[in-house]
Amino acid sequence: MYRYDEFDHKIVTDRVNQFRGQINRRISGELSEDAFKPLRLMNGVYLQLHAYMLRVAIPYGTVSSKQMRMLAHIARKYDRGYGHFTTRQNIQYNWPALNRIPDLLEELASVEMHAIQTSGNCIRNVTADQYAGAIADEIEDPRIISEIIRQWSTFHPEFSYLPRKFKIAVTGHKNDRAAIKLHDIGIVIVRNDRGETGYEVHVGGGQGRSPFIAKKLTNFVPAEKLLAYLEAVMRVYNMLGRRDNSYKARIKILVHETGETEMRRLVDEEFKRIDTSQMLSLPEAELSRISAYFAPPNYETLPAQSKAFEAAKGSNAEFNHWVKTNLVPHKTPGYGIVNISLKPIGGIPGDATDVQMDVIADLAQRYALDEVRVTHEQNLVLPHVKLDEAKEVYDILFAHDLATPNIGLISDSIACPGLDYCNLANARSIPLAQEISTHFADLDKQYDIGELKIKISGCINACGHHHVGHIGILGVDKKGTEFYQISLGGSGDEQASLGDITGQAFTEDKVVDAVDTIVETYLNLRQPEERFLETYRRVGMSPFKEQLYAD
Amino acid sequence: MLTKTHLISNGAFIDDTWVLLDDETPLGDTPAIISMDRLKAEADALRSRNAKLGVVIRTNTLGKTKLGEDVRELTPYLDMLSTIAIDFPVYRNGRGYSDARILREEMGFEGELRAIGEVLFDQWSFMARCGFNSFEIDASIPVETFKEALSELSEAYQPAVDNQRGVLWRRHGL
Amino acid sequence: MAQHSSKSARFQAVTANRLNDGEVVYFKDNRWIENFAEAEIADGQEAAEALLTRASPDNMEAFILDPYLFEVSEYQDGFTPVSVRENIRAKGPTVRTDLGKQAEAG
Repeated sequence: MYRYDEFDHKIVTDRVNQFRGQINRRISGELSEDAFKPLRLMNGVYLQLHAYMLRVAIPYGTVSSKQMRMLAHIARKYDRGYGHFTTRQNIQYNWPALNRIPDLLEELASVEMHAIQTSGNCIRNVTADQYAGAIADEIEDPRIISEIIRQWSTFHPEFSYLPRKFKIAVTGHKNDRAAIKLHDIGIVIVRNDRGETGYEVHVGGGQGRSPFIAKKLTNFVPAEKLLAYLEAVMRVYNMLGRRDNSYKARIKILVHETGETEMRRLVDEEFKRIDTSQMLSLPEAELSRISAYFAPPNYETLPAQSKAFEAAKGSNAEFNHWVKTNLVPHKTPGYGIVNISLKPIGGIPGDATDVQMDVIADLAQRYALDEVRVTHEQNLVLPHVKLDEAKEVYDILFAHDLATPNIGLISDSIACPGLDYCNLANARSIPLAQEISTHFADLDKQYDIGELKIKISGCINACGHHHVGHIGILGVDKKGTEFYQISLGGSGDEQASLGDITGQAFTEDKVVDAVDTIVETYLNLRQPEERFLETYRRVGMSPFKEQLYAD
Repeated sequence: MLTKTHLISNGAFIDDTWVLLDDETPLGDTPAIISMDRLKAEADALRSRNAKLGVVIRTNTLGKTKLGEDVRELTPYLDMLSTIAIDFPVYRNGRGYSDARILREEMGFEGELRAIGEVLFDQWSFMARCGFNSFEIDASIPVETFKEALSELSEAYQPAVDNQRGVLWRRHGL
Repeated sequence: MAQHSSKSARFQAVTANRLNDGEVVYFKDNRWIENFAEAEIADGQEAAEALLTRASPDNMEAFILDPYLFEVSEYQDGFTPVSVRENIRAKGPTVRTDLGKQAEAG
């Protein structure tokens, strides 16, 4: 994991002090709300329905046990005993008081964390594959370049007042778990014919009111040139991006209106100009320095098969189920990647209590080489667990309601906070996730249905990624009442696609029935081994529509 | 637009000897800042004029200049200009930061680069890093406050127009 | 953001969030209170505009953020907010009934 040096410490500490001053100026009345709002947003502080909300950055979704303990501590001391892990691999606290936030941030800074650029029209927290460094067949650990991007984009003087927010995601693996094609910039780490590592850059993806899949602008940028290339994309966007309509201000609209070819030309031209000075050429020494932090940890030499693990699977059916859904093969023999489900049946997707966070911190320290990851699907990961100890880990997770064996299944929904918390929401999201999960609680039924990703947003901003849900649900408001639009066939992986809307929206009490109808239709139509998404892509919308709107 | 402003240039208050002229007012023999349209239209006559000249870059969101004027169009006139004022119609509109860097780094403009419009406390240090050396700010703000704002964030990761090379480089003595 | 009220609304109240902690507050007799049940209710558009004006003095921003009108309707012996949104603001998250005003009410 990356560790701060004196520069990183200074930058974060200066920011805490600066924000403390800004909050004091606001409370004393020196700063108006209008002037203060963008400043608090740039520091991750929103005003929501019931209270302020603070969004803490978890760069590329990686935290140490010490940091996780701090997140638990903050939930206890400054909030109401819990936090919410988000689709941006961040954590949100729902109840902090404004005047206590500087102290909170100071405590965070003591474990090398911050809330910088978790909101505002700037480059946001960089996200990455949650299995980084642990999964086999990875070209390069995506966290290396993510950390470099984090530093380059922090307090970027030119790009802190962009037309709109800007999100960058990175993957180093052919299986895209970071939804890179749904980001303003998506980076895929590639290797060229000569065996050199470089970066494929996709630009202009996004969800929201007008969803777009990103366009690939270049096949290969070498590491030392990546910052110059990114700066070129950003400058073209800052110069030409629309500022007359916030719904048309994201780079996806610029790419769409300009056209892929012209956009590529503009970026290439700007890149040549910026690159001339070599000012942004990344020094080899810095790349090595940061790479060293992500060197593989000290794995033990173990046999690929663990006797204890096999025996536990044989004697404990529940453990065996959990292994099938929640444990992913590790690149190192004798290790596994453990997914911690934050989707207990009937629970709130992504919420974790302070006690649970402490338990996870302890597990990371004792069993997982001190690391925890946050996934964009709102679960957590212990990336390096010895198979010999998987059963011990499972038992502790189970005791704290953290071992629901449902990763990738129908009860593993993504849901944004929705109208229960969010000031922008039109409808609630969480209760639907809870109802669907309760309706399909039977695990045998869930295994029979197989991989099915439900994603729920409470408004068109699409924080719940509904456009890329196999089943997507979007809450809309009709004169103060909640309605839900359903879409089918979306996907956020390497074969990204946007869902198709089924038709007329449903009232809240009809949504679970509708999902049930969709699932039954799929079960009737599927061919052997066919997943929901494959069936949908084969048969299309009509059979589902017929069943949904039969009356 | 702020009603009363004063000018900080290279870290100190100075008397603003410049006047911002509309396109109809005749140019006298005193330093004048004119629009980009007027500069282009009257360039030949302006070359023989015997006083300092400046231009204002408008960053509008209205009409044909929805995005704002393109600083690169100043290339043929750069040698005539002592000052370039970049307008921030609202602080949220950050297009002017790119204008400034393009003028300094790509076009090599070495004259006064002045930030006008909504130029607030929390933007000054970013503006300075992008190459502005002159700021038209609210008249109630003392120069000490301005200096404080510039020193709030003492380190920067990335290179820009100022002398800072960026932490990513300085770590290695570059 | 959803619409909070409409031209045809008869009964309305004024709500805002408190600067220091973001708490939902309601306007009553020239002060701000936390409990919706005690909020001042305006009958008719004119009364509503007058209520909002009283709730938004020049120095308001020093402690209160963005006061606005929202529609309420008669319910049992009192009033209830019409929209789901204002009901949630008045009580707390529907998915955490142990938190927010609903919890304090016991």
